Amino acid sequence: MSVLRWWWGLLLAFAMLALLRVVLPLPFANELILFSIYAMGCNFLLGRVGFISFGQPAYLAVGAYGTAFYLFYFGNNPYLGILCGIAAGIIVSLAVGPLFVRLRRDYFALVNLALAVIVYYLMQKVLAGITFGDNGLWFLTSIAATPVLDLSRPDQFFIFALVVAFAVWAFYKYIDDSIFGACCLATKLNEDKIIFLGYSNFSIRLTAFVIANTTTALAGAMYAVYLGFVSPEITSAARTPEPVVVTILGGVGTLYGPIVGSLVYIGMKDLISKVFGNWELIIGFGLVLIMLAGEKGIWGTLEPLLQRAFSRTATSAAITGVGGKTK
Amino acid sequence: MIDDQLLISGILFGLSLGSIFFLMAVGLSLVFGLMRVISLDQLLYYSLGGYVTYSVSVVTGNFWLGALAGMAAGAVAGFAAERLVYLRIYERDISFTMITSFGILIGGVGVIKYFWGLVPLPVSAPVDVQINVIGTAIPVYRLIIVGLSGLVYGGIWMFLNRTIVGKAMRAAIENVEHVEGLGINVYRLFAIAFTIAGGLSGLAGGLYAPLIMVDPQMGLDVLAFVFMIVIIGGLGSIKGTLVSSFLVGQVVSLGTLVYAPLAQMAPFAIMLLILLIKPTGLYGSPLLKR
Repeated sequence: MSVLRWWWGLLLAFAMLALLRVVLPLPFANELILFSIYAMGCNFLLGRVGFISFGQPAYLAVGAYGTAFYLFYFGNNPYLGILCGIAAGIIVSLAVGPLFVRLRRDYFALVNLALAVIVYYLMQKVLAGITFGDNGLWFLTSIAATPVLDLSRPDQFFIFALVVAFAVWAFYKYIDDSIFGACCLATKLNEDKIIFLGYSNFSIRLTAFVIANTTTALAGAMYAVYLGFVSPEITSAARTPEPVVVTILGGVGTLYGPIVGSLVYIGMKDLISKVFGNWELIIGFGLVLIMLAGEKGIWGTLEPLLQRAFSRTATSAAITGVGGKTK
Repeated sequence: MIDDQLLISGILFGLSLGSIFFLMAVGLSLVFGLMRVISLDQLLYYSLGGYVTYSVSVVTGNFWLGALAGMAAGAVAGFAAERLVYLRIYERDISFTMITSFGILIGGVGVIKYFWGLVPLPVSAPVDVQINVIGTAIPVYRLIIVGLSGLVYGGIWMFLNRTIVGKAMRAAIENVEHVEGLGINVYRLFAIAFTIAGGLSGLAGGLYAPLIMVDPQMGLDVLAFVFMIVIIGGLGSIKGTLVSSFLVGQVVSLGTLVYAPLAQMAPFAIMLLILLIKPTGLYGSPLLKR
């Protein structure tokens, strides 16, 4: 029953996302899906493990550059490129993770912020010989057309991105229901108690850190394939808090939060910069107002209301659904 | 090896950079120590200070008046942000205050863009004189910056150790509940700390403006360095901030002479090393908890 119900919710959410494709212009829909994948990693880190990271763009850039290096220098298959990006994300987060997850939460946020800036300088100056500094790597033309889903075409990329986002979402839902998910939540709530239960805070946090940042790297890899170029701008200091903003805007720890947050944030940014020009002003003070209004975020506020409104209809629908199957 | 002239000017450059970093980081460190708020909006007061300095010095023709106005603008903005926004969200989790401060930061950058435009603006240096030290020409203005930040450190030290408000503030950094229990209005302390932090950030922006150009993103450029300094020194420690800001200033400046691209990253390596040995930073107390 309950399994059926959340699958329904999942399908409904992504059916609505697919519908957005019809209503909204394609670049916007693509951007939205990619950003929600990006925010999902941050949502897991913040909502489940309780780590606020201001350095998510660092991992985004790692994924993006992993893909970019492959596509620029070695091959031309976008799928392999994305795999390279994911591998890069795993390697980097395994390298920095053991050091970072030992830190207190406030230090963790700042250390990640510093990491993002370091990646920026690394890509802009130190490795300028292979990354071409601020000009970035352009490889849109070298992405080969693949047989089933041609990732070099934006409309087919959208389908791929939707499938990936769905898979990531279902994966996080699965983690939430597993023992590991419960452990993550427990390290957030009471780290002394979980030691007495025989678990190690360090290994739980490290695993969660690697999972979350690999998701971020995946988002970066897909950005790279979608845009066809990567520049250090992707991890500049101005962009560092974006995923956290989106996560909190949508509602921390909720499953639909990243999607709702991305929709609102990207939508507002797009709309305001078209109509008004000065998006920072409105986004900034809007954010302050939202933070003052409450800490549950948009989805966190909407969810109980929706549940109350739909609880009767939803249960009856589920019952008839099950009944219909047994017949 | 580097020749002497380059070395001397490099050290001086590092000192003045460290002074600017110190002025910014000390407010950040104080605000964090007292209220557990990671106040990204200090970077806004830094840009605001720079811009107000520009406008006032263009109108009046006096740079020092401009820097003073920049400091005042930063202090007023900090005070306003504390009263209007932070006062309502102290109880919340650290991530919420951080996001709120980010909202103030980008909102304020939007305001700056609205009033002053996107083009970087030059501020003319008040003192163009160069003096000769062991055969090296040294701009006096950089020396003045170092001197002023020394004065600020002295002032902060006197304030925290010799006045009753400062003593209460130090006690509140250790344990805010006890201070509240003694009948001291901690929210007034918070407002004072925020005003001081904003004022110092504004002063830093004003003093640094002649050496760079003021542009709307100037706060974001120093963001990472300032936060690295606060981490290296230990959150909430004034002395640690002083030591680490001059450390980072020298590393950036002298590193540029050795191998420029790596200089920007060297502070990060130092930070990782220090966190590996001492996860709370150089002078951070492990007992600090809230």
